[in-house]
Amino acid sequence: MYYLFYFTLSGIFLGAIYSIIALGIVIIYKSTKVFNFAQGHLLMVAVLFGATLSHKFGIIGGMFVSVAATAVIALLLERLTLRPLIGQPLIAALLMTIALGYLLEGGALMLWGEGLYKYPELFPAEAIMIRSIAIDQQVIWAFAVVVVGFTAFAVFYKKAVLGKAMRATAEDHQVSQSMGIRVTHIFSISWVIAAILAYAASIFLGSLSGGHYLNSHLGLKAIPAVLVGGLDSITGAIVGGFIVGLLESLVTAYLSGELGEVVPFIVLLIVLLIKPYGLFGMVRIERI
Amino acid sequence: MTRPAGVFDVRYEQDIAILRTIPQWVALGLFLLFLLLIPQLFPSRFLLNVINTILIITIAIHGLNILTGYAGQISAGHAAFMGVGAYACASFMTIWGLSFWISLPLSAFTAGLVGILFGLPSLRLKGFYLAMATIAAQFIIAAFFLHFKPEIFRGAQGMSIEPIQLGSIVFDTQQNLYYLIMPIAVLMTYFAQNLVRSRLGRAFVAIRDNDLAAEIMGISLFGYKLRAFFIGCFFAGTAGALNIAFRWTVRPDQYSLMDSIWMLGIIIIGGMGSILGGVLGTVFIKVLDEMVSALTPFLGRVLPSELASRIGASTGLVVFGLVVVLFLILEPRGLAHRWEILKNRFRHWPFTYGH
Repeated sequence: MYYLFYFTLSGIFLGAIYSIIALGIVIIYKSTKVFNFAQGHLLMVAVLFGATLSHKFGIIGGMFVSVAATAVIALLLERLTLRPLIGQPLIAALLMTIALGYLLEGGALMLWGEGLYKYPELFPAEAIMIRSIAIDQQVIWAFAVVVVGFTAFAVFYKKAVLGKAMRATAEDHQVSQSMGIRVTHIFSISWVIAAILAYAASIFLGSLSGGHYLNSHLGLKAIPAVLVGGLDSITGAIVGGFIVGLLESLVTAYLSGELGEVVPFIVLLIVLLIKPYGLFGMVRIERI
Repeated sequence: MTRPAGVFDVRYEQDIAILRTIPQWVALGLFLLFLLLIPQLFPSRFLLNVINTILIITIAIHGLNILTGYAGQISAGHAAFMGVGAYACASFMTIWGLSFWISLPLSAFTAGLVGILFGLPSLRLKGFYLAMATIAAQFIIAAFFLHFKPEIFRGAQGMSIEPIQLGSIVFDTQQNLYYLIMPIAVLMTYFAQNLVRSRLGRAFVAIRDNDLAAEIMGISLFGYKLRAFFIGCFFAGTAGALNIAFRWTVRPDQYSLMDSIWMLGIIIIGGMGSILGGVLGTVFIKVLDEMVSALTPFLGRVLPSELASRIGASTGLVVFGLVVVLFLILEPRGLAHRWEILKNRFRHWPFTYGH
């Protein structure tokens, strides 16, 4: 029983990280129709920033500088590489974000090398005891960030003018431009939001495993999370992230670690076949 | 297509011919002669190794180009299908004791069938979602070879075969292997070039450009998409089987997601939907790769070792990423388009019109 509980908790923690990455991908996709394969790489850069900059600027200062640095990188990527691709076929944007991922990974390897960077300890080490079960504080924090983030974005998209503008942009670029929405601004804003989310995920990833240039491969696992939930659904990103995290953790615990690595993709294939638009995605009527 | 003045097509056969003028025939003859003489011209084992690799990848790239460039079904799992061909060939040869000459077509066929299996989602998915399904295929196939039946596929260690033979000729030197790989690569290139001009190839292009219009024209979408998957993976399987004849071993990590992405990058750089582009892109990227890896020891002498090893490890990633980014922004139609422009410039020189 304790075993099950332990792996459920670690699955929830992992799931929270996947959820935040997936949320970033969904937000970019919703307004720009670009699937950002480099989200995991943004996360990796954020972890490395967080791990190294906190020595220079202190923990709080380091946080602000890292968020700013990640956001600047995201802005540059959007402006310099994805803006020229508007109107190009799907595969162009697809390969562009993958190539950007390679660039970020190579750049990180060049700047930071292959070393593992220790992340500053933001969360108290002692666990919270509920009866006889110990829960790490970072798990609770991660869960809290996901819940707050989800609520904030749900309200933002429903109520805020900017949120409505972003939804309109997602629907039709041309029409939103005619209605006076600066579509290019919306693109930039979505990438900045995604960068901030990448930083949020990086805090938990950093406290879990430290900063390393291969952290980016976590972004690959966010792909099933996004698609299982539905590419354009914020609820979907959160639920998908937790489904993938829990599945991976529990399958690793009870069957085998190797299977745990593949299970998200098997689930992805099954979901794609049964519900191509994901559990919560908007069903578009089109002939195939 | 522009031709010299005075060359007219008066019969249908002339209109569809690949080679229309005598200089083109001469150029082809000289090129084939050059291909035949490559081992004599470049006796270096290293160069021949690179050339052999290029030829094998070219075959796989033709498959990907037919599947993604012509039929428009983005596949991010092409390396895995190449792996299927390699593993199938190794299994046929070691377990069933078949000769390589039977295993080669059989394993290409097997890869094609596996391709159909993973192409089935194209019944309900298209575009981006299908690309995701092929990424899933990549992971599932790699995990299958890594963990399924370790007594056959031998897990991470992989399978190995003896050098293949034809009569008394043993294909164990780069030169002999070149004469095995080159004719097959030339044949497959010819096959690909003709296939995309056939009824099938035109149906693929119609599906890529507008699937609804294609269906109204009487093209069964599902049937033709599956055919595209079969043919694309058939080429990949051929390349995989040749790759095991070339390397004698096959391991799951030789056919990773990174390799699939690498192949997609090649067809972007070469030019989507152009057989010539596939060849140009492969040569370009492979030569670039070799130049990058030749750079590392040089860096080690100039820079401090810690910095040199970092730069050496990362240049490959950065260069590939940068090249793909630049091509996507500056020349999305790839090297094949540049080649056409160059040819027209040459033809119209010294006049500037006509291109």
